[in-house]
Amino acid sequence: MRAATTEVGDARRRVEQLLTELPRDGEEQLSFTQPWELRAFAVAVAAHENGLYDWSEFQLALIGAIREWQDSAGRRVEPWRYYDRWLEALESVLSGTGVLDGGELNYRKHAILTTPRDTDHHHARRDPVAVDPAR
Amino acid sequence: MTRSEITPSPDVTVPRSEAEIAARMKALEALMIEKGIMTTEAVDRLAEIYENEVGPQLGATVVAKAWTDPEFKARLLANATDACAEMGIGGLQGEDMVAVENTDDVHNVVVCTLCSCYPWPVLGLPPNWYKQPAYRSRIVREPRAMLRDEFGHDVPESVEVRVWDSSAELRYMVLPQRPPGTEDKSEAELAELVTRDSMIGVAPVRV
Repeated sequence: MRAATTEVGDARRRVEQLLTELPRDGEEQLSFTQPWELRAFAVAVAAHENGLYDWSEFQLALIGAIREWQDSAGRRVEPWRYYDRWLEALESVLSGTGVLDGGELNYRKHAILTTPRDTDHHHARRDPVAVDPAR
Repeated sequence: MTRSEITPSPDVTVPRSEAEIAARMKALEALMIEKGIMTTEAVDRLAEIYENEVGPQLGATVVAKAWTDPEFKARLLANATDACAEMGIGGLQGEDMVAVENTDDVHNVVVCTLCSCYPWPVLGLPPNWYKQPAYRSRIVREPRAMLRDEFGHDVPESVEVRVWDSSAELRYMVLPQRPPGTEDKSEAELAELVTRDSMIGVAPVRV
């Protein structure tokens, strides 16, 4: 099956393209500056809608993550980014419900990072990649 | 691959790269979908809804109706949640809403000092500056100066500025003043004038 041609796949690309193509100088006016932020947002809502946690639990985790960042002035190395804190809160509530394992998440993240995107697309491919010969 | 290669050191001394955070989110979403916690379709649908379908234009229709229908305005100020529900507007994070009215004597502005509580169903998702620590702290300490310096909105000294702290339980939206010279405009034309910033209270509605 080619997921790339499904309606949902198209919708996803549309949304992500919209996000990445927005002018950068208007960044402060945008709700999302990176596609992953919108995914983080949508996943948090989806998990809540599927009954994994009360929205208030997520909010408390978010408040806690933001407070921790603010209290870490002097020690911290990360710049202020709202959706970093959002992701931290999301990981925390999902771990709390037992559906997310930190080790598993790290492992998967590592796999994604070590799989180059478009592995072959930095090289000109001057020959057909597949040929269905004439009969 | 050894375990140490995949587990980050606890005392991180360099900021994570954008690629790393994006990969982490991608991994999280993939795991949740594989475990059957959610479907890609549901996540996509939500992303689309919040990016494209709800937004300040819904709040703008509420404001325009309040400007043209005094009875609706009275209901909005008495119970914003119910008044918005009359117009079919409501949902997550819009359960308990309060509309505060700007007048010749009072200017209202909304913040969430703890995180970013915000009435999504009427205003869409909050802009980035709303979520910045700089806004969240300074608008409380010196709202008039911040409105002037950061938003170019010079509220006259004769007008009281009230800052409302949205929380998980209660979210505020501002009912801005109808600008002069709009007596002939229809409700739909008025709605086009109403901006998100005017409903947060950091800008007036301009013609």
